[in-house]
Amino acid sequence: MKFLSTIWQFLNRSFFRLGSPREFYKISNYVTPVFGLLFLVLTLIGSYNALFVAPADYQQGDSYRILFVHVPSAWLSLFIYIVMASAAAIGLIWRMKMAYIVAICSAPIGATFTAIALATGSLWGAPIWGTWWEWDARLTSELILLFIYFGVMALYYAFEERTTAERAMAVLAVVGIVIVPIIHYSVEWWSSLHQGATVFREGGPAMPPSMLKPLLYNALGFTFFYGYILFLRARNMVLDNERKSKWVQELVNKEHNKEAH
Amino acid sequence: MNSTFILFCRREWQLLFRNTANLVQPLCFFVIITLLFPFSLPLENELLSRIGGGVIWVSAVLAILMSLDAMFKADYNDGALEQWLMHPRSLPIAMLAKVFIHWVATGLLLTLFSPVLSMAFRIPTDQIWVLFIGLLLGTPSLSLIGAIGAALTVSLHRGGVLLAVIILPLYIPILIFGAGMITQSSLGASIDSQVYALIAILTLAITLTPFAIAGALRITIE
Repeated sequence: MKFLSTIWQFLNRSFFRLGSPREFYKISNYVTPVFGLLFLVLTLIGSYNALFVAPADYQQGDSYRILFVHVPSAWLSLFIYIVMASAAAIGLIWRMKMAYIVAICSAPIGATFTAIALATGSLWGAPIWGTWWEWDARLTSELILLFIYFGVMALYYAFEERTTAERAMAVLAVVGIVIVPIIHYSVEWWSSLHQGATVFREGGPAMPPSMLKPLLYNALGFTFFYGYILFLRARNMVLDNERKSKWVQELVNKEHNKEAH
Repeated sequence: MNSTFILFCRREWQLLFRNTANLVQPLCFFVIITLLFPFSLPLENELLSRIGGGVIWVSAVLAILMSLDAMFKADYNDGALEQWLMHPRSLPIAMLAKVFIHWVATGLLLTLFSPVLSMAFRIPTDQIWVLFIGLLLGTPSLSLIGAIGAALTVSLHRGGVLLAVIILPLYIPILIFGAGMITQSSLGASIDSQVYALIAILTLAITLTPFAIAGALRITIE
């Protein structure tokens, strides 16, 4: 039990350490390039395997290969929303500055991945389904998700006072989480043109390993890309929000001196 | 019954009849939006009766959306809202009462008026009932969810368009189930699943949104 409580205390402390903008900035100095590197390596391996190693589909030929972009983007559009809503909830509960920054920095990235998922889906649908767009449950709910992302961003930028903007945005992000289960189960609840779950389903993935492997590599790579962009954006926002604090000014002076030499 | 709830209901009810414009305007808006469709579409009775249910649903959503902006504005401007925030009475219960009376003045009124419009659209009698029940179950959720958006934007000078952007996406599921009921019943299929979905949404909305509304008000009013 003592062991467990030590671990708990460690986690608790590191959680609240990350909550301080200054500590976050320090840690992000090391974490950001690691995320960037992991993204590059994983996506290169994944994309090479997806384009040259994975066999062509017996029905769809080579056109199915857009799946290796479409599916990770669609997963991420939901994953980022869950991260954003969780961060928003943490911010509302513990009044944590960093949590709000993570939430607001996630919104445009999530919106972009949602747009990519919709665009690639429509490119894929044109030859295979014979239509660019269908008013089908999965497609429509994903489009709603895009507009919820837009709403969260619009609300944040509507306020002049930053603390009000952060908290108002957080409430909307938490309320909007209801859309995530609707999107996830839309293919099961309504009969839909979009295919059902192929990877995460009972009885294992309905996909040969040669196709599954690059998909998972790409999904992981895209996730690290999200982490990379999130950290870059959050670093900028931290500097901007804390520009009057002493540590940021010291940092600026140090950079300035470096350039002068 | 909770006395805060009764107290606030009585207050809102009185305010409603002090300024009957609040009562008349959403209804007029609802009817006018609905009437735009027959003017803009080819005059075929069969077409009108097929799309009528959807048209009435969309008009109801827009009418409620329009009425949301004013929901907290007067209380915000005269300072009553700040008094409630400081008062020891339960704010979520008070807000539930406020939304309830708001729904009576907008959603319920539209629902009661919808059969007249349905007849104008030549919707078959059995489907008029389906539409009526759908609106009765759906509009309270619209008012409750919309109140969160109204609370979030109450301190903004031009909150109207923003309110639509943040709230309309959340309305779409209700619209899908509500308008889906009419399509289902016109095909002769059972409407149970849609009714249950609307009731489920309404239950969740009644239990959860008052806290979100109260929280949003505490955030936006400093």
